[in-house]
Amino acid sequence: MSELDEKLSVVLDQYSDDEHSEAVLNELLDDVNLQYKMRRYQMIGEVMRHELPDQINPDLTHRIMSQIRQIEPEQSSAAITKTSAQGFTLPWALLKPFAGIAVAVSVAVVSISLWQTLPVNPQPGDDGEQLVSVEQQKIKVLASQPMQGNPVTVSSNLGGGTRWIVKQDTPALQQKLNGYLVNHTEYSNSMQGLIPQARVAGYDAEQQ
Amino acid sequence: MGSNLLDAELVKRVQAGDTAAYDVLVQKYQHKVVNLVGRFVSDQAECYDITQDAFIKAYRAIGNFRGDSQFYTWLYRIAANTAKNYLASRARKSPNNTVDVEDAEHFEGESGLKEYANPENLLLTEEIKQTIFAAIEALPDDLKSAITLREIEGLSYEEIAEVMDCPIGTVRSRIFRARDVIDKELRPLLE
Repeated sequence: MSELDEKLSVVLDQYSDDEHSEAVLNELLDDVNLQYKMRRYQMIGEVMRHELPDQINPDLTHRIMSQIRQIEPEQSSAAITKTSAQGFTLPWALLKPFAGIAVAVSVAVVSISLWQTLPVNPQPGDDGEQLVSVEQQKIKVLASQPMQGNPVTVSSNLGGGTRWIVKQDTPALQQKLNGYLVNHTEYSNSMQGLIPQARVAGYDAEQQ
Repeated sequence: MGSNLLDAELVKRVQAGDTAAYDVLVQKYQHKVVNLVGRFVSDQAECYDITQDAFIKAYRAIGNFRGDSQFYTWLYRIAANTAKNYLASRARKSPNNTVDVEDAEHFEGESGLKEYANPENLLLTEEIKQTIFAAIEALPDDLKSAITLREIEGLSYEEIAEVMDCPIGTVRSRIFRARDVIDKELRPLLE
């Protein structure tokens, strides 16, 4: 007979102050023998009230706790996940409006990337003819035809750069080249009327 | 902090990951849950399987228990639903189950577990009952009255003190001494 046993008896009767109950609880969790005593104290009441099952199973607690210890790691990881989620409740609430923007930006980036990876020129084996516009076909036809008229002198100044320099006394050639450049720029990538970004074609403005 | 508050504290500790606290809750309520489940199923093995299942379900769900009700009320609800689901899955009903789910925990009738009894456990249970009743009979009158008023009549310490015309401290001591005497007889059976 100990003071702790008496406190246990009082706690089971719901007649104890917080201080004593806390002490009993701590002892109860650490002391298996005290747990058995609690079980027997309860059993006394159950027998007196005719509430004890017709046959008890002494292994039931062990069976239940064995099962629970098997699922405990799973439960613990779930608890950790839950705790983590709870810990970030406020920041997430603040960040939530930006999530939509982030998704929109991601979609835009992917779209632009895909657009830029589209083949500019038909690759060998591709059915590129289906993608070529009517205007491009006209250009192809023109390009395949022999140039009419007198040959135009175009000089290359490799020492000053890689650009062709068109002499100023050949306005017809300048106009023709301008036309080619405009056509090329507008119809490249098969996107009529749209000027693709980062695709600049030109010739030296410092015409002689 | 009484027994209900003790339950609340145990639940808090389980929610914090202390499995030992759940062990205490299982020990405390296993017989009550077995009795409840016994209203639904008549087979002993099934009864204990459902009881086990109910405690495991309660453990899994205890993180969601907010303490709006008493722990045992919540546990009984889980046990009753587990038994009902079991019966539904087996598409059969217990022949003795004429009790509404809500009333099952307060049902005073006989449990339907006798037919499938395990002789060894039956004998042990019978021995426990006989030992406890014999020990109570052998108690001095003041201890016997105190423990009877508490366990059978359900009186509070104050009410017992009034009935027995003694201080509350004496009531507390008498109830404990009665339990301690009975426990000394009971302990060898369960070791």
